[in-house]
Amino acid sequence: MIAMIGKFRSRHDRVLLLIVFWLLLALLGPLCSSHDPGAIGSQPVFSAPSAAHLLGTDYLGRDTLGRLLNGIRHTVLLCFASTLVSCSVGTFLGIAAVTARPWVEALTGRLADGFLSIPSLLFALLVIAVFGTSTTALIVTMGVIYTPGAYRTSRALAQRIARLDFVTVARARGESTPYIILQEILPNMTGPMITDVGLRFIYAVLLLSNLSFLGIGVQPPEVDLGSMVRENMLGMAYGSPAMIVPVVVIGVLTVGINLALDSSSGRR
Amino acid sequence: MNSQTLKLIGRRFFAAAMSLIFVIVTVFAITNVLPGDATDAVLGQGATPQAVAVMRHDLGLDRSVFFRFWFWLWGVLHGDFGHSLLNGLSVADAIGPRLHNSLLLAGASAAVSVPVSLFLGITSAIWKDTVYDRVVSIMTLGMVSVPEFVIATMAVYVFAVRLHLLPALADVGSVHSLRQFLSVFFMPVASLALVTLAQMVRMTRAAMADTLSAPYIEMALLKGVGPIRLILVHAIPNAIGPIVNAVALSLSSLLGGVVVIEVVFTYPGISGLMVDAVSSRDVPTVQACALVFCVTYLFLTTFADVVTILSLPRGRKA
Amino acid sequence: MQAASVLHRRSVLKGAGLLVAGMTSQSVKAAPVSGGHLKVAGAVGSASETLDPARQSMATDYIRGHLFYDGLISLDDRLNPHFALAEALDSNDFLTWQIRLRRNVQFHDGTALTADDVVFSLRRHQDPGVGSQQYALARTMQSVRAVSPVLVEIVLDAPNSDFPAILGISNFAIVKAGTTDFKVPNGTGPFRCQEFTPGIRTVAVRNSEFWGERPYLESVELIAIPDEMARHNALMSGDVDLIATVNPRLVQMLKQGGFGIVESPVGTYTDLSIRLDQRYGRSPDFVEGIKFLLNREQIRHSVFLGFSRVGNDQPIPPESPYFNHQLPQRSYDPDKAQFLLKRSGFLGETIPLVCSPAALASVDIAVVLQYAASQIGQKMAVHRVPADGYWTQYWMKAPLGFGNINPRPAPSLTFELGFASTSPWNESRWRNSHFDSLLRDAKSTRDNSRKRQLYWDMQELVSSGSGVCIPNFTNSLDAYAPHVCGLRPSQAGQLMGYDFARSVWLNENRGKKV
Repeated sequence: MIAMIGKFRSRHDRVLLLIVFWLLLALLGPLCSSHDPGAIGSQPVFSAPSAAHLLGTDYLGRDTLGRLLNGIRHTVLLCFASTLVSCSVGTFLGIAAVTARPWVEALTGRLADGFLSIPSLLFALLVIAVFGTSTTALIVTMGVIYTPGAYRTSRALAQRIARLDFVTVARARGESTPYIILQEILPNMTGPMITDVGLRFIYAVLLLSNLSFLGIGVQPPEVDLGSMVRENMLGMAYGSPAMIVPVVVIGVLTVGINLALDSSSGRR
Repeated sequence: MNSQTLKLIGRRFFAAAMSLIFVIVTVFAITNVLPGDATDAVLGQGATPQAVAVMRHDLGLDRSVFFRFWFWLWGVLHGDFGHSLLNGLSVADAIGPRLHNSLLLAGASAAVSVPVSLFLGITSAIWKDTVYDRVVSIMTLGMVSVPEFVIATMAVYVFAVRLHLLPALADVGSVHSLRQFLSVFFMPVASLALVTLAQMVRMTRAAMADTLSAPYIEMALLKGVGPIRLILVHAIPNAIGPIVNAVALSLSSLLGGVVVIEVVFTYPGISGLMVDAVSSRDVPTVQACALVFCVTYLFLTTFADVVTILSLPRGRKA
Repeated sequence: MQAASVLHRRSVLKGAGLLVAGMTSQSVKAAPVSGGHLKVAGAVGSASETLDPARQSMATDYIRGHLFYDGLISLDDRLNPHFALAEALDSNDFLTWQIRLRRNVQFHDGTALTADDVVFSLRRHQDPGVGSQQYALARTMQSVRAVSPVLVEIVLDAPNSDFPAILGISNFAIVKAGTTDFKVPNGTGPFRCQEFTPGIRTVAVRNSEFWGERPYLESVELIAIPDEMARHNALMSGDVDLIATVNPRLVQMLKQGGFGIVESPVGTYTDLSIRLDQRYGRSPDFVEGIKFLLNREQIRHSVFLGFSRVGNDQPIPPESPYFNHQLPQRSYDPDKAQFLLKRSGFLGETIPLVCSPAALASVDIAVVLQYAASQIGQKMAVHRVPADGYWTQYWMKAPLGFGNINPRPAPSLTFELGFASTSPWNESRWRNSHFDSLLRDAKSTRDNSRKRQLYWDMQELVSSGSGVCIPNFTNSLDAYAPHVCGLRPSQAGQLMGYDFARSVWLNENRGKKV
């Protein structure tokens, strides 16, 4: 196993491997536990780990491991998807704002600033009121909330690069805008942009739990990792794994992805 | 600074004003589109259609949306933020002390987190891929990945409940000396600094690392430029755009996005007021809070934009 | 008829054992000491907090009400009415009531209490613009007039033997005639208001001119800490002395830390109501099936950790003297439920179940029900919706949704407001004319044993016919630091029926800040 991982020398492969690992855990993990995440029996609440419940029980006496695997599934899938959406849209718009006609910049810039200063609570409540609660509404909400931030970062990076000589040269050569974006600008801003992606992923994990709490996110008995921490918060007083383990898993997931992204962005 | 740059900056300020108008209109629209109104919050489960109708009339909620918006805007233009729909108190009076509290908390947190994160970000970019860099990365990422209510609650549990060193509630009214200030503000400021640190450290590190690996830095190095001069004169000006952006975004969240910290420490700030006002559909209060957040945000981002413009390779050449 | 008999119809209390069980030995020791400052944290607070008794609707409001105001009648730990600002209360027919006022009572501004104040205080509830929580009950008072400076006459629209209990509802507290601005409360209560900032804090100082027994406390400070963990931490760190709404999961930890717990058997319940006039509820089989699917013991055990009493789909709690204990207890029976749900034709469908943090524990109860349903092949989709706007947007509107009902001081009120055909708060839209006529009889009868029989029959009708499922009655839990003395459990609500400040005293010798 270790030898196998060793083979993935390339830094990009390492990120890919990590993402595949979490995706597999998200898809197959819940199958590994014999416990239904919604099953409530007569177990005591916040019990310590035992043979029947490897990670003990949660605030309602449900199996923590079963719920953890269910939580990983929702957090990983939904946060990957929404980060992907917000960062690709944001990056594209950011570069477009710099390379396209001035009115594009004016329009997207105002919209981004506007969205960023509208409290996300208001926005989330609006989505619930208009679209109700669905997975699509959830991903769109998370995407919309984080796109303006990615846009600002991307625009700030692109503004500098667009003024560098090689872009001016490419423009003078008569290259098309898409060519300039894809071949000249994008490759030169990956470093900071990838860091931004990593951060947005962390925020998405926490936002998901806030949205779930409002009722727009994952609905009971399903759960996401952040909500699991929240609902078991009182377990802190008893050192319950139901509260501690999801915190650790969130940490391992987000820090791991960020470190892998870091090492992949070291260019040259 | 040339006239083109000045024009760009001027345009930025005009744009900020446009954004402000967009936000005010949008927030008003959203608050009015949301199901329910302030009578729900006042009457609650005991609401009867008659009482709702009379109260809606008394509060002016039966007037058209456009009328209400103009009425509100007219007031604001004359310095009157209106009255809360819930308790009839002046919105300015309700926001005043809370805004003061929030600015105090945000200011203290910024004073701690900005220098610390710039230092950590720049140093870890210089010593990229060393043990130091790894430790800083893991620590800052770890801190931001733990939900802030966990960090804050655990801090209270350890320092207030177990050790009895600090108060569990951040009672601003009890602050009369520096010592009291430190004991009341230590935990809220530390928790806030920890969660805002990450974005600034990460973006600073990334932007700096990117710049430091650029050809002209190698050139400067070959020319024999000293390390401190290299960082301050050659690297920072080129990396400043994304860094200032990250700082502006982080700081703007210190005023309006600290609801969790306010809740855990029972700190009467403006974030909590806003959340409360949104859920009770207290439109004048929501509008006033949104105005405050938006102005702060636009001030910070416009500042970041101006710095970015000034730092651009061509823009800097006077 | 003499009011005394109305006011002192004490009966054998079934819940008496529980009332005593919550008491700690320490409150018995040592003589009470006067003085001291008590800091209390409630669980709810917002900018809509008010000092207008008519509008009070949350726990911290009720506490403020009891600090600054008095009613004509007060309710004791077992919801029995006692005289407060009234000195006598007489009625021959339960229709016309004569109230004689206590003399030498002063408002905080120094003016004397007169009949005009009482008339003003009661009549203002009938003005919809006031936004009274008791608009419906106030409308049953057809006329309220001052006969003399100390005598008030009230005529009801129908006889009601429980009228004294209605006057004991804290919304009906007496304010100074002509008051329209409630920023500074002018009541007759044991404390004066020193500071009130909605959503932040209330500070009350002892009223030296108080007509009744002087409270021990010099001053009381009331704040709201909505976050559960933060509230408990504030108690354990010594920042506050007394907290309300303790989560059952923390009782063990608080006890280990040397803190006292008061467990009160209040009649509060979280119910699942099935609209009988919408799709699913039109089928009686469906309603009965769901009632058999509710695992009441499981809810008691897993959701409330034993700090509740099992309910039987009728709103009268077991400790009430009118509780029908011969009504067979409905229990979890998945086979019967499956049979009934199959017969209703909804077994294959996914049933939406609306719950919200606004209705205490409703999300957890929904999850327990959802799991039980999944075991018999009945799919349920839980919709957890935001707390804000819940009471107007979802409550009583969803085909299957949760409500959260506070105790009323008399069974007739509980039935009248929640189950009478004409009540706007008839959660399941249950219409039963037989029930309505029993209610009318119960309100006008003089014979207590007949009244009990009527209430028993009504409980049976509600339990079998209405679409309201009441799985549990919750117990209220308060926690206090060791130096706080004199707290007792009360059926009237948390913190001694929100009225702790009149009886609590501090014993500074008893290690403050352990």
